[in-house]
Amino acid sequence: MILAGIALASPTPVAVPGAGIFTSPLILSLSIWVPVAVAIAMNFIPNPRGRYDTLMKQIAFFTNLGIVFILFIAYNQFQTFLPGMQYEEKLPWLASIGVNYHLGVDGAGMTMMVLSGIIGITSVLASWGVRERVRSYFTLLLLLQASVNGAIAAHDMFVLALFWGAAVVPAALLVLGWGGPRREAAAWRLVGYWGLGTAALVIGTMTMYAASGGSSFDMDVLLKATLTPRVQLAVGVALIVAAATRLPLFPLHGWVRDVYSDSPLGVSVVIAGSASRLGAYLLLRALVASDADASRLLAPFIAVLAAISIGYAALVALRSVDLRSAAAHLAMVPGGITVFGLAALTPLSIAGGVLSLFTGGLAAALIVATAWTLTDRAQTRSLPLLSGLAPRMPILTWVFVIATLALLGVPLMASFPAEAMILFGSFKTQPVWAFAVAAGLVLTAVSVAVITHRVLFGEPNHDAPAVSDASLGETWYLGVMAGALLWVGLFPGGPKLPGTEQPIFDPGLINIMGAGISDITAPYVPPNPAATQ
Amino acid sequence: MSNYVLVPEALVMAAALVLVLLGRAPRRSRRWAPLAATVVVAAALGVELWAGSTLTSQFGGALVQDRFALFAKAAVLLAAGLAIAVTDWSDEGAPVIGMAMILLAAFGVMVIASAGDFVGLWAGLELTAAAGVVLVSVRRTDLGLRLLVAGGVASALVLVGLAFVYATTGSADLLAVRRAAASVNPTLPLAIPVMLLLGGLAIRAGLPPFEFARLPVGLGASPLGAGIVIGLVAAAALVVAFKISAALLPLPAVLSPYLMVAAAVAMVGGGAAALATRSPRARLAYLAAGQVGWIAAGLATHYRTGLGASLFLLGAFAVAATAGPSAMAGADAGEFALAGMGLLRPARAAGIALAFLSLAGAPPLGGFFGEFAVASALAASGALWLLALGLLGAVMSMAAAVGTVRAIYLQSPPDESRRTAGARLPVLTRLSTGGAVALCAVLAGYGVFAYPIFSLADQGAEALGLR
Repeated sequence: MILAGIALASPTPVAVPGAGIFTSPLILSLSIWVPVAVAIAMNFIPNPRGRYDTLMKQIAFFTNLGIVFILFIAYNQFQTFLPGMQYEEKLPWLASIGVNYHLGVDGAGMTMMVLSGIIGITSVLASWGVRERVRSYFTLLLLLQASVNGAIAAHDMFVLALFWGAAVVPAALLVLGWGGPRREAAAWRLVGYWGLGTAALVIGTMTMYAASGGSSFDMDVLLKATLTPRVQLAVGVALIVAAATRLPLFPLHGWVRDVYSDSPLGVSVVIAGSASRLGAYLLLRALVASDADASRLLAPFIAVLAAISIGYAALVALRSVDLRSAAAHLAMVPGGITVFGLAALTPLSIAGGVLSLFTGGLAAALIVATAWTLTDRAQTRSLPLLSGLAPRMPILTWVFVIATLALLGVPLMASFPAEAMILFGSFKTQPVWAFAVAAGLVLTAVSVAVITHRVLFGEPNHDAPAVSDASLGETWYLGVMAGALLWVGLFPGGPKLPGTEQPIFDPGLINIMGAGISDITAPYVPPNPAATQ
Repeated sequence: MSNYVLVPEALVMAAALVLVLLGRAPRRSRRWAPLAATVVVAAALGVELWAGSTLTSQFGGALVQDRFALFAKAAVLLAAGLAIAVTDWSDEGAPVIGMAMILLAAFGVMVIASAGDFVGLWAGLELTAAAGVVLVSVRRTDLGLRLLVAGGVASALVLVGLAFVYATTGSADLLAVRRAAASVNPTLPLAIPVMLLLGGLAIRAGLPPFEFARLPVGLGASPLGAGIVIGLVAAAALVVAFKISAALLPLPAVLSPYLMVAAAVAMVGGGAAALATRSPRARLAYLAAGQVGWIAAGLATHYRTGLGASLFLLGAFAVAATAGPSAMAGADAGEFALAGMGLLRPARAAGIALAFLSLAGAPPLGGFFGEFAVASALAASGALWLLALGLLGAVMSMAAAVGTVRAIYLQSPPDESRRTAGARLPVLTRLSTGGAVALCAVLAGYGVFAYPIFSLADQGAEALGLR
């Protein structure tokens, strides 16, 4: 009952105070092109010998703050009872091959946009310590964020491929320019895997395009075309490869360790938090929502990949001797859970998968960021040296514990309803692999418990370098992510005035993400408010 | 309006002649030559865009002005103008000859674009190639000779091919060839000359594995000379390939298999070689070869959307491959020659970076839009294997381009005492800075404002008689 209540939208559409005060038909374009414009403009500001480095950081911060404001308006005014796309923009682009600049979001897209907004501002805060080539760094970071926003908002496969591929160059340059000792390996692996994923996405798109008559790349046409099961299967495999390189899933996870361990912190946050979630979002949008035969045929295969990814990540984290490497592998777990929810193909599991896009992104970014900050403050990444830090790092201890709890999906965390919905929803269609995923989560719990005990609550290692707790700035960026996880965990339906159904300012992520899911799952019939009266 | 159609050609040719004569004038009076040449090319481009939309034919059908000619001429004028503007003229051995030769090369491509028969195609191709030989010889006579010999082989192959096609169809007029081809069977005696013809064009375009002349020449020539060889000569060969492809439209069996193989080798080979090499100019040359492969792949689809997409990509290619080497100026000694360019010459650095990324097909630049359009044509024609190979090449190209962009923006500039002749910092002038900014705007705007450009390219393909 509780799960059903969480999964479904509120039975009556209640307007949120403030709705309709401000709206713009370009709300999605603003979230994409404002960062691009600011990134270009930043390069025209004279900055002799880094004199205005702080100004660059402030510009990036306020740009992200502005985007969060825009996205909050979009979130606040989102019509939860409309099944289709909202905030749509459509202009012809390459007309003769059927390419349109078509943007739009449904509930899942809006959820992802909110996630991207939170991650965007967090990444800037996490990058405050950057000292070298500050202007170039924030230019690339803004371009990376813009490409993620573009991929989320895209409603044309060309636009999706454009922004999907556009993320590769800034991400690789950020790793190459500001990464740790293994930055070369990290960057080239990122280019290789993400490049392969982009190629797979284009092949899948082109196969759909050719099979549907070659008239349009618009998702409304392409994803609703009647394709033969064989073509659907080919497209499905290509999309799975694209998603598995980005999310990542075993065995296409080769970039994870180096990139999450050796990227600058702000970049790790963006990649773990929002850029990698695009993989699962692609599966939801292009496979589960469109290719019915292929998704049914490939569902067991995807479930196997998800289960193996979770178990593998937990085992590697358990055996790791480097805290950042362990966290990098643990960050794979939420992605596996999300994909498993989509593979189960039940309304409840898909709804859980959509919520897990948000919670998994935050949990992955939080565990990576916490491990990064902790190792930075402890001056070592070596797990044998990191021991008994809790008394000396109370803030980081709290955040680390919250991150691990979010990974495991314990109650009060936003990931709890997501994981519960996925597991309950999937036992019906994928019982064996649901059990395997649950076993993987147990392994993750063991891994997390061992690491937490050793690093935070073990016997202090007197040979270890001196440690210090998180600074105010670090507390802010970690706190924003932890706070978001707790907020959605405590108020999944949004806070309401006591005794009423009137939301105060947040319509509730559960209500937002529910819009459009009914369209995705064919057998799922949404409740009809009129029929219940 | 039809009287103005040849004004762009006249302007370009007149400017080239004046520049050649200016070579004898005192050095002081040549100071304004780059700016004047840029203005003339810009004026020619303006006239072309204004008057070029008129459909007409001149000299008894020997020159035809249609949408294809308009697009190709506009693209090549834009490329030549940007190359002249962005060139570091202090690094060119004979600046006025350089300007004259690039104008002459552009004129050659314009002749090909309007050519109504084999004579125009051949003459334009030879003119463009000859301009390249002259400019290369100014700095390196040995390389000029090498280019001349390789060009001679290419020319012979093209001539033999054209002669056999003429013998088979009984006409040198492209429209008549097309009509005659409809009644000719695709036989081996026809397929072999077509292969020779395409082989000659591949040598001209420097497609792998035929880059034996173009690459060393591209490396040893002056920046502008490299731009002509890598960009304009390749563009000339491609425009000839467009026209031949349209003329032999009823006989795809004698053309498409060769084009597909050439495209596959170029796309994969270009990407792999770009990834393997460390020299920026060699890398740019290989990236350009990979993109030529994409254009050839679009031609191989043998229908309007494919040719329209290829034509659209040709525009982005011509600009990046011609102006790219000029923007790099003397930085041909290795990656370290470009190190820190982003800090020292920001506008020029951005131009170089965008040229590399566009040739690699990285989004959201012109090259990506063109390659995606070609990819859609390949998918629609069922050539998914070629698409897969192209994407493999594109991934390698993108990795190679990231390497160069990294050197430009993320590496520290070399110590001034370590700067050799091959790592000389380009001289900063208002014209070169403006040219670099314009190059960036064109490469970025080509994709963003693709709607009218792609529509024109599509009309260009339609003008070739494709439906």
